Amino acid sequence: MKNIKKILDYSWIAILIIVVITGIFIFAMKSNIRMETDLDKYMPQKHPAFVYSNQAEELFEIKDGIIIAIENSEGIYNEGTLQKVKDLTKEIQNMEGIEKNDVTSLYTADNIVGSDFGMEVNSFYKRVPTSESKLEKLRDDVRANDMVYGRIVSLNEKVTIIRAEISDTTFTDDFYNQILNFADEYEGPETLYVAGSPIIEGTLGRLMPKDMQKMAPLVIIVIILVLLIILRSIKATVLNLLVVLLSTIWAFGLMSLLNIPVYSVSTMIPIMLIAIGVAYGIHLFSHLELYLQKNPDSDKRTAIADTLKHMWKPVLMTAVTTAVGFTSLITSEVYPVKYFGLFTAFGVMSAMIFALVLIPAGLMIIGLPKPKQFVRKKAADKDKVSFGLDTWIIKRKYLTIILSIVVIGVSLFGMSKVWINSSFLANFQKDSAIVITDRFINNNFAGTSSLNIVLEADEVDKFKDSTTLKLVDDLQNELESLEMVGDSFSLADFIKRMNKVMNEDKDEFNSIPDSQEMIAQYLLLYEMSGDPENLTSVVDYEYQTINITAQMKSDDTKTIKGAIAVVEDFRDRFNDLGIDINFAGTGYRGYVFGGLILDGQISSLILSILIVIILITIMFKNFIIGLIASVPILVTTLVNFGTMGLLNIPLGPTTALISSIAVGIGIDYAIHFIDRYKEYAAETGDKQKTAKMTMYNTGRAILFNAVVVISGFLVLLFSIFPPNRQLGALVSLNMFSSFVGTLTIMFLLLYLSNIYFKKGRSSTS
Amino acid sequence: MKKAKVLIISLMLMAMVLGFAQAQITGAQVMENVYNRPTGPDIQSTLTMTLTNSRGSTRVREIKQFIKQFGADEKKIMFFVAPSDVKNTSFMSWSYGDGQSDDMWIYLPALKKTKRISSSSKSDYFMGSDFTYDDLGGRHPSADTHTILREESVNGEECYVVESVSKDSDYLYSKTISWVVKGEWFGMKKEFYDEDGDFLKSLTINEHKQINGYWVIPEMEMYNEQKDHTTLMQLKDIKIGEGIKDSQFTERMMERGIR
Repeated sequence: MKNIKKILDYSWIAILIIVVITGIFIFAMKSNIRMETDLDKYMPQKHPAFVYSNQAEELFEIKDGIIIAIENSEGIYNEGTLQKVKDLTKEIQNMEGIEKNDVTSLYTADNIVGSDFGMEVNSFYKRVPTSESKLEKLRDDVRANDMVYGRIVSLNEKVTIIRAEISDTTFTDDFYNQILNFADEYEGPETLYVAGSPIIEGTLGRLMPKDMQKMAPLVIIVIILVLLIILRSIKATVLNLLVVLLSTIWAFGLMSLLNIPVYSVSTMIPIMLIAIGVAYGIHLFSHLELYLQKNPDSDKRTAIADTLKHMWKPVLMTAVTTAVGFTSLITSEVYPVKYFGLFTAFGVMSAMIFALVLIPAGLMIIGLPKPKQFVRKKAADKDKVSFGLDTWIIKRKYLTIILSIVVIGVSLFGMSKVWINSSFLANFQKDSAIVITDRFINNNFAGTSSLNIVLEADEVDKFKDSTTLKLVDDLQNELESLEMVGDSFSLADFIKRMNKVMNEDKDEFNSIPDSQEMIAQYLLLYEMSGDPENLTSVVDYEYQTINITAQMKSDDTKTIKGAIAVVEDFRDRFNDLGIDINFAGTGYRGYVFGGLILDGQISSLILSILIVIILITIMFKNFIIGLIASVPILVTTLVNFGTMGLLNIPLGPTTALISSIAVGIGIDYAIHFIDRYKEYAAETGDKQKTAKMTMYNTGRAILFNAVVVISGFLVLLFSIFPPNRQLGALVSLNMFSSFVGTLTIMFLLLYLSNIYFKKGRSSTS
Repeated sequence: MKKAKVLIISLMLMAMVLGFAQAQITGAQVMENVYNRPTGPDIQSTLTMTLTNSRGSTRVREIKQFIKQFGADEKKIMFFVAPSDVKNTSFMSWSYGDGQSDDMWIYLPALKKTKRISSSSKSDYFMGSDFTYDDLGGRHPSADTHTILREESVNGEECYVVESVSKDSDYLYSKTISWVVKGEWFGMKKEFYDEDGDFLKSLTINEHKQINGYWVIPEMEMYNEQKDHTTLMQLKDIKIGEGIKDSQFTERMMERGIR
């Protein structure tokens, strides 16, 4: 305490030190800051699911595909459209980083056909057919081949696709622009659509930060305006903003200094710091204002000293508990989330230092804020300002308790409906071009998203075995019966196609033959006459491991989960044959990743609540206070998840992290309130008075804080990106429920607990 | 005196021209010689084909094969001996000197049927190996432009190093480089470059010998660097010019299999 007061004597030096450190951090950011855009870097590479998936992706050359759909409302079987398919296929094949074999279209596809006298593997066309009869033959060829019909050419024959599989490193800005350029160039009379997960991720990675860059200044402007209205002082507003701004610079500065890249999750750090950091200043200024109101003639040194005397402890306590709460995120398996927790904690601690050093020092230099009209007007209706909330709640304590229980009950009900979604597409507006394209392709073809199911046997040649392949076929049929699974593809499809072709194209032979010899001989035949490269994507060299690709119409977690559930039903039957089941592919990794983030988030929430209870118990030397102080966090968390469930907002990587705000804000409010309550209780010894004064003093600061942050974040509701809108809504909601939870139910519990009032003296209620 | 001088000069000139011509065999001539090198009226052998992929996994196939020349045409019949699940699967091809596309049949014992198959292109890979049909001897020298780059010796054999650039820019290989043994006209080694001019694969001859006066290659290896995939071809029990009946190359023989 004494040391803190020294700041008032050495204010220039204190500010100089802050300026120098900030300068160092800014320099570090300038020279060292970098964004991490490679999504794979976000995933814990040592997690068994990722290790397996990566291995399988390498083995079967599983890559993400870009899909270019060419639509001609007159039908695709005309010279012009077929020429475009050929030209565009060649252009894409010649692109940097693309392997020729990874581009599939009607132009490159193999046509395996059977006839009375044999089997042939041809291309559908090399020279673009011009005559009516040749075009007709092409159409008949496609119709007869269900490995192409419905897969490369739509069933209504108006759309055909070119699919280019690319590796993660191929996708760059140039690549993205080039693909979009092609789509423009080849437009008319055909319409071209570009889709596929690399495009979705690429677009998201470009547009979302841009949207945030546009929205963030608006958020800050609104916060400045509201701060000006509430604090009625430019000086106070500036100092308050500096606390938030500098703490953000320090957090990112340290990150750059330690050479840690900025992950997309890190963009949540400033949001946390705005919501939490603004509170410190507001509490200080609120106290200062009330002090000046009581002692209008006080000089600035005395006024600031008094504010510090009363506020250093709660500010320090809130900062420490909040920081510890965020630090609990290091239990997460996901590195970006760990860093998010650590650097937010560091930011919170810096915000605390700025509040306790920069604000007093700054005020010493620039002088006290002189809130206009304040002393004159507000002194008159002192009671009104305390909103009489204390008496209102105490009178209706049962109603308050019942309402709280109802809110908690409804929230618990809502929580049961919360669903997880790690979909990338869900990040776009329903009417955005990318969603429309995706839907268009999903309507005409099997699906834009895929799940890879990897079956691994304990012996070689297992997948030449008839029983095994029949079970694979059953599994695929079961999968395809799901509404969202458009198609599936495996070694079994090759065998069935060959069996049919070798038996005069009779439909009853579209099945797995009974003998292993037959299967082995078909495979040999395929190698001899087809493109054996096609087999590498479905089976390994020893016929010991196969890859089933399920094409799905959505990348959301529900769809992936549904497909996985079907596969899991087959696990026992495959295990009986000595076969193990695993999953692979980008969609699956995203699904596991989403789960990891959530698990980490939920366990760290529980952990942080426990830590908070312990810390507060130690700080206030009272376990009951520890429990009472956890009430706002609990209420905020429950309402947050409950609302998400009720409003059908899925839990994703970002929305999950928002619940961290509950910890930061909930603790702040509880500590400020309890600390002040305790002080007034000691001062007055009167429960009613204590309630009224705490409500008036701290309650007011809490209200201000909530109003400032809520109005700022409501701006995000105008964002064009659903995740940014959800962010705005949920941050606002969390601020609101922390505010209400603290001033109603927590206040009531504190009041009824009779702590800080000796028995007998407090029986006046 | 004068006449003698003229005579001497003329003789010298002639000698120079002749000597020069001798040294200046063209790349095209070298490759013509390779293409036209006699391989014998018929050949039979057991072929073991070992495919190794980038993970070190292997597939081994054992094939009994018979080849016979019918004038400009060539007929070939192959029977699988191993692995056991494809035993007696047979394959027959007739290729024609007039450039007409090959006829091919396959017999699957499990299906008990002989089927015609067609390969759309000579640049298709042969049975999942790293050899295309062209690599196994099908490509006519006139399809490429040949240049002798230099002469050097490989494993003690004096070779011409010939670069062959494809006239068709769409062909699988933009160019190949062959090391051809002088006077014997078989290759010791060959490098293949893909359409974009990047190194694709290399063929190495591990063993060569003469049987009944014909050069044969009992062991060769193709390594595809881009795919990190290797095919080893080993020939055993090679018999050349011992006579194979014309009736060996029929569908009936395919179905009878090898005993």
